[in-house]
Amino acid sequence: MTALPAAGPVAPAGNWLTDLRATPATLAQWWVLTVRLIVPAIVTGEIVTAILAPITFTISFYIPLNRVMTFAGLGFSSYAQFMAPIVILQAAAFTAVSAAFRAATDAVSGLDRRFDAMPMHPLVPAAARMSANVFRLLIGLVSAVASIYYIGFRFEGGALHTAGFLALGLLIGIAFSLGADAIGTFTRSPEATTQMLVLPPLILGMLSTGLAPAHQFPHWVQFFVRNQPVSQFAEGLRALGGDRLGKSAPVTWSLMTPPLLWIAAIVAVSLFFIARQNLKRS
Amino acid sequence: MATLDRPQATDTLVFGEASVPALLRHTWIQTQRLLLRWVRDPITLLETLIVPCLLLLMLDIVVGSQIQKFSGHSALYGSTPMVTLVGALSGTVASGVMLGREREAGILSRFWVLPVHRASGLAARILAEGCRIFAGTVVIICFGMALGFRFRQGPLQAFAFLWIPVLFGLAFATMVTAIAVFTAKSTLVEAVALLSSLLMFFSTGFVPLAAYPKWITPVVQHQPMSVAVDTMRALAEGGPIATPLTSTIAWSLGLIIAFAIPAAYGYRRASRR
Repeated sequence: MTALPAAGPVAPAGNWLTDLRATPATLAQWWVLTVRLIVPAIVTGEIVTAILAPITFTISFYIPLNRVMTFAGLGFSSYAQFMAPIVILQAAAFTAVSAAFRAATDAVSGLDRRFDAMPMHPLVPAAARMSANVFRLLIGLVSAVASIYYIGFRFEGGALHTAGFLALGLLIGIAFSLGADAIGTFTRSPEATTQMLVLPPLILGMLSTGLAPAHQFPHWVQFFVRNQPVSQFAEGLRALGGDRLGKSAPVTWSLMTPPLLWIAAIVAVSLFFIARQNLKRS
Repeated sequence: MATLDRPQATDTLVFGEASVPALLRHTWIQTQRLLLRWVRDPITLLETLIVPCLLLLMLDIVVGSQIQKFSGHSALYGSTPMVTLVGALSGTVASGVMLGREREAGILSRFWVLPVHRASGLAARILAEGCRIFAGTVVIICFGMALGFRFRQGPLQAFAFLWIPVLFGLAFATMVTAIAVFTAKSTLVEAVALLSSLLMFFSTGFVPLAAYPKWITPVVQHQPMSVAVDTMRALAEGGPIATPLTSTIAWSLGLIIAFAIPAAYGYRRASRR
C-alpha cells in the first residue's frame, strides 16, 4: 500500500498504529457470548433437562417418602406443602452443576485463554455464562413451581410472601451458580464436576430439614441439620410459602436473616474468586 | 556415534497388531493408562470412593430408623447394595465424559493410526471400569460393615455379592459409551444423572416396597436397580434369590446386547474422526 495522507485520525509516527486499540463493545460482546450459550441449548433440546430435573426431584421425594414421613408426623397440613422448598433447592443445585460443567469445559478446552487474548473486558465471558445460567434457572424454577403445585402445594402467604418465595428461590439459584462457576473454572475438570451432579446436593438436601423435621434426626447430628445452609434456605422458603392450617413459622427478620446472610456470603466469596480467576492474565 | 543395540526380542513387536497376544498386551497397557489417570486425579478418586460412603451414612441417618420400625429389618441390607450400584453408575458417567474428551483431544485417533490392536481401546475401558467399580464396592462395603452391615450367608455368597455391581455397572457403561459418542456431553451427563436418581429413589433399596403407592409397585419391583439390590440383599442377609438373580442377569445382558454394537460402532467412529 502506498503511503497516502491519513484520512481519519492522524496515524502515529511510523504508521504502525501501535497506539490504536480496538474498542471493546462490552455490551455487544456479552450479548453474543450469551446467545452462544443459550441458542444451542434450545436448538439441541438440551434445555429439556432443566424442565425435567425438578419434575424428577418432585416425584423422587414425594412418592417414596410421603407415607413414611406422614406416618411419623410432621405438624404440617400436607407433605407436599412441607417438602416444596427442597424441590426448589434441588432445582437450583442442578442448574448450578450444569454451570460448573460449562465453566470447567470452557477452562479446559482453552476457550478462556482465547477470550483472554481478545480485546474485551475480562469479565465478559463469566458474565455471559452467568446470564445463560440465570436463563436455565428461570426455566427450572417455573418447572419446579409447576410440579410442586401439581402434588398439592399452594401459596398460602399472600402476594408479598409469594413474591418473596420466588425471589428467594432465584437468589439462592444465582448464588449457587456463581459458586459453581468459580469451582468449575478452578477444577478445569468436567469429569470431576459430573460426579457432583447427583450425590453431594442429595446428601446435603437429605441431611437438612427439607425432607424431615429436625427432631426426627438422631441427636448427635441435629445440630448440623438445624444449622446448615440448606436447612436455613428451606425454613425461609417454607415460612414464605405458608400453610393452610397456619402451621408454618411466621415470617420474621430473625428467620430470614440467616438465609440472606448465607446467600450474601456465597455470592461475595464466589465473586471474589471469579474476579481473581478472570482478571489475572493467564 | 550412537548405534542401535540388537533389539531385545521381548521388547519389540514380534507379533502382528491384530493378533491375540497383541490384544492382551495392548489391553493391559491401556488399562494401566486409564487406571493411572484415575488414581492420579485426586478429585475423581475422592468422589468415587468417599462420596458414596457419605451417601450411605446419610441414608442410614435419615431413613434408617424409620425403615427399621416399618419393616422390622435393618435398612442397611437394602441401602448398602443400592449405594454400591449408585457409585458404579456415577462412575460410568465420569468415564463417558472422559471418553468424549479423549476423542476431542485426538488421542483415540492417534491410537487408531498406531500399530495398536483395534479392540484393545474398548476392552481396556471395560476392564478399567470393572476395576474401578470393584474398588469402589469394596470401600463401600467396608464402610457399611462399620455401620453394622454383615454377610450372614458365607464366603461364597459374599464373593458373588462383590460381582453384582460390576456386572450392573458394565451394562450401564456400555449404554453410556453408546450414548456418549453420539450426543452432546452435558446432555448425556444430566440425563444419566436424572436417570440414576430416579432408579435410586424408586428402588427397594431406598424404602421397602410396601411404602410405595400401589400403582407404582410393579415398576419399582422390576426395575434393574431393585432386582440387583434384591439379589445382593439375598446374598448378604438371606432370602429368595432365584428370581432377582435371573432378572439382574437378564437386565444386564439385555443392556449389553442392545448397546454393544452401537458402542463398538461409535467408538470406531470416534477413533476415525
